[in-house]
Amino acid sequence: MIESQRHSYHLVDPSPWPISGSLGALATTVGGVMYMHSFQGGATLLSLGLIFLLYTMFVWWRDVLRESTLEGHHTKVVQLGPRYGFILFIVSEVMFFFAFFRASSHSSLAPTVEIGGIWPPKGIGVLDPWEIPFLNTLIPLSSGAAVTWAHHAILAGKEKRAVYALVATVLLALVFTGFQGMEYYQAPSTISDSIYGSTFFLATGFHGFHVIIGTLFSIICGIRQYLGHLTKEHHVGFEAAAWYWHFVDVVRLFPFVSIYWWGGI
Amino acid sequence: MASAIVRSGLGSAIRGGASTPRAFIASKRTFASHGHHDEAAEASKWEKITYLGIATCTILAVVNLSKGHPHHEEPPSYPYLHIRNKEFPWGPDGLFEVKEHH
Repeated sequence: MIESQRHSYHLVDPSPWPISGSLGALATTVGGVMYMHSFQGGATLLSLGLIFLLYTMFVWWRDVLRESTLEGHHTKVVQLGPRYGFILFIVSEVMFFFAFFRASSHSSLAPTVEIGGIWPPKGIGVLDPWEIPFLNTLIPLSSGAAVTWAHHAILAGKEKRAVYALVATVLLALVFTGFQGMEYYQAPSTISDSIYGSTFFLATGFHGFHVIIGTLFSIICGIRQYLGHLTKEHHVGFEAAAWYWHFVDVVRLFPFVSIYWWGGI
Repeated sequence: MASAIVRSGLGSAIRGGASTPRAFIASKRTFASHGHHDEAAEASKWEKITYLGIATCTILAVVNLSKGHPHHEEPPSYPYLHIRNKEFPWGPDGLFEVKEHH
């Protein structure tokens, strides 16, 4: 911390990233709607918006890493902010996924006459839950064990072992995504096949998307651990990644039990 | 009378709790497992659990992959299957809809 500072709070410098992120989000939304309604220039605006958004994410997080790791602004009390913020973010993610499971349960507990009054709807082929779906539930759980190994290795000051553990976490995540891609490719139904396809692919697809985000988060943590950014006392970024990863692997249990297993037999 | 005793008891407990140095010691964060040795043992335990998970997943992956993928029969064209309400910007099919067996 700076010598002359007599408090432990971080008074942030003015930053252009909140407004650039907002403009990127606006361009993405408007461009996305234009693209889906076949307006001229929709694809261009959507692409520019996404590039702008990704650029903002990169430079904003780069600045946060500089402020915390290089400038030492993240004191114990400052660390509370990102912790509470991240916990609230995960709570909002739980609600996001709850909506999809609710939609699935609503549609499957009392199937309408339009789909033959049965679940899965008449004519819908389902996957055997004990083949790829079960394997793809064990893989994220093993990856969750690997991230716990990484956490204890960081706390024990075993820097190299922590890197290995994060490599294992990421490899398992990539294998999961590979199997999920294979499952989608071989699946007998698609997202446009009745309410079954809609709820199935929305829930499992958003879970898969979250796995990809968690994989990127773990890759960044692995690189930062390799570079020596994470210490025994200060590794908030890693903790957030570990919480997120545990959220993603626990959430997988719900589609496995309710959509693949209960809803598919 | 009884409520007054409870009130004064609670009051002294709160005051006492806040003023004694013991409270400061108690507020210091202590973990069930602290110190390098315990963390190293925990790391080693979770490393073993990870290896066990990888071994199980590898066996299951080999079993699943050796089965070959299942073939499904084409269902009758019920109105709720293959729903099309409007054209996609990129063509007739959804981006991930074109399947091997189609």
